[in-house]
Amino acid sequence: MIEFENVTKVYPNGTLALDGVDLKINDGEFVFIVGSSGAGKSTLMKLLLREEKVTSGTIKVDEFDLSCMSNYKVPYYRRQLGVVFQDFRLFQNKTVFENISFVMRAIGETNSRIRKRVPAILNIVGLQDKMKCYPRELSGGEQQRVALARALANNPGIIIADEPTGNLDPELSFDMMNLLRRINRSKNKTVVVITHEKNLVDHFQERVIRLEDGKMVEDRVGGMFE
Amino acid sequence: MRRYSIMYFISQSIKGLWRNGVMTLASIIVLMSCLVIMGSFSLIVMNLNTNLDSLGDMNEIVAFIDPEKSAEEVDSIRKAVEKYDNIKNLEFISPEEALEQEKQKYEGEYSYFFEGITSDIYPATLVITYQDNAKVETLKYDLEHTEGIYKVTCHADIAETLETVKTGIIYIFVWFLAVLFVVSVFVIINTIKLAVFGRRQEISVMRYVGATNWFIMLPFILEGVWIGLLSSGIAYFIEMSIYKFIAGVVATDYQMFTLVPFGTVQLPILLSFIGIGVVTGIIGSSISLRKNLKA
Repeated sequence: MIEFENVTKVYPNGTLALDGVDLKINDGEFVFIVGSSGAGKSTLMKLLLREEKVTSGTIKVDEFDLSCMSNYKVPYYRRQLGVVFQDFRLFQNKTVFENISFVMRAIGETNSRIRKRVPAILNIVGLQDKMKCYPRELSGGEQQRVALARALANNPGIIIADEPTGNLDPELSFDMMNLLRRINRSKNKTVVVITHEKNLVDHFQERVIRLEDGKMVEDRVGGMFE
Repeated sequence: MRRYSIMYFISQSIKGLWRNGVMTLASIIVLMSCLVIMGSFSLIVMNLNTNLDSLGDMNEIVAFIDPEKSAEEVDSIRKAVEKYDNIKNLEFISPEEALEQEKQKYEGEYSYFFEGITSDIYPATLVITYQDNAKVETLKYDLEHTEGIYKVTCHADIAETLETVKTGIIYIFVWFLAVLFVVSVFVIINTIKLAVFGRRQEISVMRYVGATNWFIMLPFILEGVWIGLLSSGIAYFIEMSIYKFIAGVVATDYQMFTLVPFGTVQLPILLSFIGIGVVTGIIGSSISLRKNLKA
């Protein structure tokens, strides 16, 4: 469960990025976070990833209280999250298998577990045949699916996708979103998608949280972009 | 039980060294130079101490007899000197005996220095032990003005000069070394900074998936360790070669100076090179990581 309680974030230069946000996302929910540029979406994501600390208020994610968590606990907290970026952030000099095994190795998984798990995850995203390919040999949609497979590699409870369809054409965007929803439904993962793509949000009819000038102005289940 | 593979860290650190080949080479050259200079100064001081100890204990004057003099003339010089005041003991060393003594001094490790050397290069000498230290200047004056004696060396004078030289060397050594270590650390900092920059995307992804700081930092610290180890290994072989060359020159041209055989100091030198090299590498990479890796 993700819980924001009266969260305010003011950057050192005085910019008020989030202003008293109250928010609760239950386990297994699928949530779109929408809003125009500068609304506070990126700040919300940074706070969730514990890249930034709150100025006031509390953020709780499962048993972790991010507002007072010490730095050494941050890596262990982040293992609960899987992150998908707009620009994929795949290593071009590593194969699909190596891109995924890299993040498993980073948290100390054994080689035997890596060898078993990577093909299984690639199967979920439908890329079991592309294991030995390099990212440059894949389409944009396939690269984003590799990025999603990488986010799933360490079996996190929460998937955070930051503009995951920003670099994809409309058809691939729908495929990607369908895949995220399928993972949400079948694996019972909490999925938080930060996006500004109206068509997608309107089409999928999931819970929508809208931010404006740092404030949460709308929270509707089965909502539309506006 | 999750465990990190040591082979992963080693392979990552070696890849890092290759990726920044030029900076790695620069770091190794600077640190190696630093170690060679440190080793050389240490060996100079060590040898000066050994010679000072032996010189300080001797109340001796050595008079060198002109090699042009015949055996009879040499004998008459010896007899004349025997009559001087303040002489406790007088020992005559012929060129053949001098060569033999030098061979004995350097036997074993450096015995090859004397291959093909004949006694002609050594003058006959008179080694005089005196009774009264206060009257040594008079005896030295008498010897210097004796026909057929071309040079007089008093051990007390040499000891005093060497002591002054030693103090000067230690001062230069300390300052020079401090500057070189700062330069070494600075170059290593920049090498690791480039390595961090080259892997910034990997580091960012590692952070997001929950890699610990140690997991991220260890390959870079190991890079510093490799730089230290390589520098110390190369420095050791350079130091050994320089010392053996100098020992050869000293053994043939400066016979009154005794050199400590390299064999007796090689282990402390090697261990201190490795220790200082590795510690410098670790310090350099740690400073760089603290500056360039945001926690």
